[in-house]
Amino acid sequence: MPPGLDALKHIVVLMMENRSFDHMLGSLKAVNPLIDGVDRTLWNPDTQGNQVFAQPLAQFQGQLDPDPDHAFPAVDQQIFNGDQSNPRVASMQGFVENYYTQQQDVAHSQKIMYYFAQDQLPVLTSLALNFAVFNRWFSSIPGPTLCNRAFAHYGTSFGQVGMNVFYPQGKSIYERLQDAGHTAKLYYYDQQSSSLEVVNLLQHQPELFATYDQFIADCKSGTLSDYSFIEPNYSDHDNDDGAQLASDQHPDHNVQAGELFIASVYNAIQSNPALWASTALLVVYDEHGGIFDHVPPPGCVPDGYSAGPADTQLSYTFNFDRLGVRVPAILISPWIPKGTVVGTDRVFEHASIPNTVTNHFIGPYPAATMREKAAQTFLDLLSLPVMRTDSVVFSE
Amino acid sequence: MYDAGRKKKKTPGKRGATVSAESTSTLPGDYTSIRVPIPPASAFNKGRPAGCLLQAQLRHYHHAESARLPKKKRDGRRPEDIHTEAEAADYIAKITKLLNPQRRRKPKPSASA
Repeated sequence: MPPGLDALKHIVVLMMENRSFDHMLGSLKAVNPLIDGVDRTLWNPDTQGNQVFAQPLAQFQGQLDPDPDHAFPAVDQQIFNGDQSNPRVASMQGFVENYYTQQQDVAHSQKIMYYFAQDQLPVLTSLALNFAVFNRWFSSIPGPTLCNRAFAHYGTSFGQVGMNVFYPQGKSIYERLQDAGHTAKLYYYDQQSSSLEVVNLLQHQPELFATYDQFIADCKSGTLSDYSFIEPNYSDHDNDDGAQLASDQHPDHNVQAGELFIASVYNAIQSNPALWASTALLVVYDEHGGIFDHVPPPGCVPDGYSAGPADTQLSYTFNFDRLGVRVPAILISPWIPKGTVVGTDRVFEHASIPNTVTNHFIGPYPAATMREKAAQTFLDLLSLPVMRTDSVVFSE
Repeated sequence: MYDAGRKKKKTPGKRGATVSAESTSTLPGDYTSIRVPIPPASAFNKGRPAGCLLQAQLRHYHHAESARLPKKKRDGRRPEDIHTEAEAADYIAKITKLLNPQRRRKPKPSASA
């Protein structure tokens, strides 16, 4: 076993909200051509037939308002742009036209093609360039938040393609770990933001949850669980400590606040030497939020469920046999070679999370869905024979 | 009011998003220090209408409230009565505290990572 894997005692996953790979990390193509990012040659048609080119004009807030549609039918248009041929071609040409439907404003619809320049996102881009960035990490479903997050917790959404994932029959990764004598925790930001996993986990197993304050304390004291899942702050609100700015980066929340939050999570781990040496941190986004990405989502192993027209709101049944739009994903550990770019030949999705965590801490898990079993694992990226002594640190 | 400029005090909005360079002194090796800009105070808007994600979260909390809490403990508000992010946060906090009554343990003041 590589020494990095031998030393690995903790896996931490931070799942952010609703941004595509090209939008957040696409600019890095100019830094490293191995990164399959975006440039000004990529375009979508608008409703007047003009070519709308991708441009590094994304703003931290105020630009993607209203929130771009990312329900199942909208994502279908973004990917296929109305193509009804058999088989349909995932052209990734429908983003601008789909965004137009929300305001009927041609100029506004073009903003869905904007991406961030590298220097606008110093945290995310530094982590991507210093550790491992995935060229092919896709959301699990071409749909919204909660069904995608379910794949991170359960390896399936139990047939759901929308925002209702109630009372699943399978065991979450947290229950699997506890049953096997391991420890697991979900950290939500505070009581006001709380968890998106209320109906399935919080109301039944509140002992699994703690606040982000506790994560910071656990990192400092070296008492982090074997597996930790972190949820950002989903709203602007007040708590006992004052005003709290949403840090989830969901449009139209401030993207810089999310940068600070990612830096905070990273620094909390990195500042404890023993924890830093024994932890892998995955920063990943749940879905693309309706924002342009140029890579067509590939097919995947079905998980045995299907969603009919009543659920997809389209004329066809979805058999969970292709992935959603590509999202940013970065794996961080001092055992990863600097500047790792995970190639286009390796496809990951959110079911990769429970599959990786289960395999590392428990071993084979026969009850997992075929989809989860087929999902790639990522800990082989901790491949260095000797731990790195260089790193980045973030400060205000 | 969120005030991104008051960096050295116990700043509103700073708790979960604080980053510190203190870790540079705890490990040997070569470190690149990267400054992270803080958002402007104008970014904070607790009166922003609750978006689709918060609306879904409200429906789920209402579902859990109805399923798990006795009537005398329920908040009484319906998701459709809640319009802003601040209102959503207030409702979610009340239900979360009832569903997960553990006491919040705060880090020591020096835990500035």
